[in-house]
Amino acid sequence: MKKKISKKSIASSRRDFLKSSAAVGMAAVLAGGKERLFAAGSDKLRVGLIGCGWRGTEAAENCVTAAPNVEVVAMGDLVPDQLDWSLAQLSRKVDDKVSVTEETSFVGFDAYKKVIACDVDIVILATPPHFRPIHLKAAVEAGKHVFMEKPVAVDPVGIRSIIASSELAQQQGLAIVAGTQRRHQAHYLEILKRIHNGDIGDIVSAQCYWNMGELWVKDRLPNWSDMEWQCRNWLYFTWLSGDHIVEQHVHNLDIINWAIGTHPVQAMGMGGREVRTGPEYGNIFDHFAVEYEYPNGVRILSMCRQTAGCHELVAERVAGTKGQLYTDGSTGFIEGQNPYKYEGESPNPYVQEHTDLIASIRDGKPLNEGRQVAESTMTAIMGRMSVYTGRALKWDWAMNASKLDLSPPKYEFGDLPVRPVSVPGKTELI
Amino acid sequence: MKSKANEKTNKVSRRDFIKASAAVGMAALLPGKERLFAAGSDKIRVGLIGCGGQGTRDAISCVNSAPNVEIVAMGDLFQDRLDESLAKLSKEADDKVSITEDTCFVGFDAYKKVIACDVDMVLIVTPPHFHPEHVKAAIEAGKHVFMEKPATVDPAGVRSIIASSELAKQKGLSIVAGTQRRHQAHYLEIMKRIHNGDIGEIVGGQCYWNGGDMIGYWKYYEREGLSDMKWQCRNWPWFTWLSGDHIVEQHVHNLDVINWALRSHPEQVMGMGGREVRKEGNIFDHFAVEYEYPNGVRILGTCRQINGCHNRVEERIVGTKGVADGHGVITGQNAYKYEGKSPDPYVQEQADLIASIREGKPLNEGKNVAESTMAAIMGRMSAYTGRALKWDWAMNASKLDLSPPKYDFDIDFPARPVAVPGKTELI
Repeated sequence: MKKKISKKSIASSRRDFLKSSAAVGMAAVLAGGKERLFAAGSDKLRVGLIGCGWRGTEAAENCVTAAPNVEVVAMGDLVPDQLDWSLAQLSRKVDDKVSVTEETSFVGFDAYKKVIACDVDIVILATPPHFRPIHLKAAVEAGKHVFMEKPVAVDPVGIRSIIASSELAQQQGLAIVAGTQRRHQAHYLEILKRIHNGDIGDIVSAQCYWNMGELWVKDRLPNWSDMEWQCRNWLYFTWLSGDHIVEQHVHNLDIINWAIGTHPVQAMGMGGREVRTGPEYGNIFDHFAVEYEYPNGVRILSMCRQTAGCHELVAERVAGTKGQLYTDGSTGFIEGQNPYKYEGESPNPYVQEHTDLIASIRDGKPLNEGRQVAESTMTAIMGRMSVYTGRALKWDWAMNASKLDLSPPKYEFGDLPVRPVSVPGKTELI
Repeated sequence: MKSKANEKTNKVSRRDFIKASAAVGMAALLPGKERLFAAGSDKIRVGLIGCGGQGTRDAISCVNSAPNVEIVAMGDLFQDRLDESLAKLSKEADDKVSITEDTCFVGFDAYKKVIACDVDMVLIVTPPHFHPEHVKAAIEAGKHVFMEKPATVDPAGVRSIIASSELAKQKGLSIVAGTQRRHQAHYLEIMKRIHNGDIGEIVGGQCYWNGGDMIGYWKYYEREGLSDMKWQCRNWPWFTWLSGDHIVEQHVHNLDVINWALRSHPEQVMGMGGREVRKEGNIFDHFAVEYEYPNGVRILGTCRQINGCHNRVEERIVGTKGVADGHGVITGQNAYKYEGKSPDPYVQEQADLIASIREGKPLNEGKNVAESTMAAIMGRMSAYTGRALKWDWAMNASKLDLSPPKYDFDIDFPARPVAVPGKTELI
């Protein structure tokens, strides 16, 4: 295994130092439950990266550039080649902010435990979504602040775990920021402020879309077991990614939940696996159209598609009694009685989310986005469940009664037959 | 041929009589009218073109909707369908059926022969593909028309229906369509209130026809022993060129309500769908389409034909002051619930048609139903191709024409392949 060898930092004394200096740096130690405090900007934050794929690597880079004195000190991934690739990327781009050694590099299904056991203040959870609940729980129980990529689970069982861990984090004064970066993006913040100020009146309708072409696919190598192939090609297996409605479209659904200020009460959808039917595409669908019903009978259309050669649209639109808003990744405006177009600065939201996380840690005012991203993820999961089964389902049932748990029998490289593709009207609602 | 042999009526003198009596009955002759009827007093002679389940029901509704209305000619592609239809009509409306062997026709040109009979009005209830040709022939021959929905299956057909409707207007002929919600009491009342501003400005809406598979309530003919064309015509709901797919064939009802509420048609359409469970023919089994109307109003239309799924058939119009639905309920600032009578809309549409003929004030729903059908066709085109498309393009530039090379049971005409979003060309 090819590794960059950095000098190991002295962990145990640093931790104690951080604790005492933070206490001095603050007017008063906040009472109860805080794991540790930081003097603003002055003390180093040590970051562990769990999940060294493209997104994890980018998130680590975003994190260390988001504020001074932030360093990646430990890394973990399922497979060594991915970890090596990631470390090489980070060394090339942000070398002076990476202090990863062989002793702080870990591979395998339990790599996350070892990263968490290192002397780290923050962990970045960027593995396939299936693993998020397990990893978040371990991180919060170990007293780590968390940046976790969206989505945060793939099934209702996972959602309940995320919410429990978020509550624990709250009690412990730990920050959780999620990779729903629109929540940290300037034009979204300004537009949503205006929506909540009543600029479009009462919300009565909305649409959101993630309609695009196809994503990467990893061809199976002969020496890969079922499990390794599925984990490497994770986008295409529902148990790992949640399907693309969960993995990608959660971004847009999160905006709708944010705008309305709550989650849907019911979901009814349809979709299928119309074009992307080869075995390399696992068992996910290629299109979803879901109607979400929110309180007061407000019905929302959500669409997502991953089919090449089709009309593409990634955006949100919310209609109120006094106007309507349109937002996408680069622009936002309001039409109607209070027209507005955002023309301010647009800091990179993938950096900003880390800036906000780090500031919240250093200020001793931990952000906790756990519940909100859990609800947005649940929104997407309900859409998928409705489409897979053809049934309509209610939030309360999904949250409290659904027994759906997509976990494999065990976490080890070996046999794991691909579960059959869902058949609307036949696949059971669990 | 098994048909009811009634005494042939004397046609020529009857026609002259109606004309003369109508002229007397009216204060003045309106220009361009083909013929006039004195209210209720003169017999209206009806030809049925398309003798399937719906055609037969329409014929019964028609003769029961007003006095002095009679079925006098019938035509279908298939003898057995015609025979079954005639048997049912004889059983349920015997005194209002005067069909003879000489006024029963089968084959692709049966419609011409029905139209050539001494009929005042025709019921066009063939598979939707044939409607444009049949409506054109009927209007050119000066017949009033009841036409089942949808009006057609492709943009070429929509243009033809609109041209025929304009001709009907010039000739003073009625065209009423089988979008019976337009004649249904609670819809009429709700629309009056919507158009009166009771829900404010319309800003959104949804409509649905999510139901089960056709297999089980619709006869599906196995392939064996049938020519390509015969097999497809027998199984017309399952072939896009014949039915338009279920978004056109069924969901047009709901889209028509949306067009009605908005007094407009969509400007742009973006949809998705597929054939997830269904095995028969070449149609899809689910569609979800977003329709954008003027002023950015976006409407969701979904339709599905899959067993074991959540079913919902309704329309919902969202305004700045309230919400109206297709069940006759308005919530919001001007809450309302329709609690009046509910006459059978399938009879009412015929009653309205006949009254319009007798009063010399022809109804013409041709453009309405052509536009609603076009909205549905655009949804299908968008879902089939994966592309978004604009109304103006579809109406003026699309070259899509699903007609077979010719209408002949013996030609080679294999079923066309199922559409593939992202690959199927937008024509």
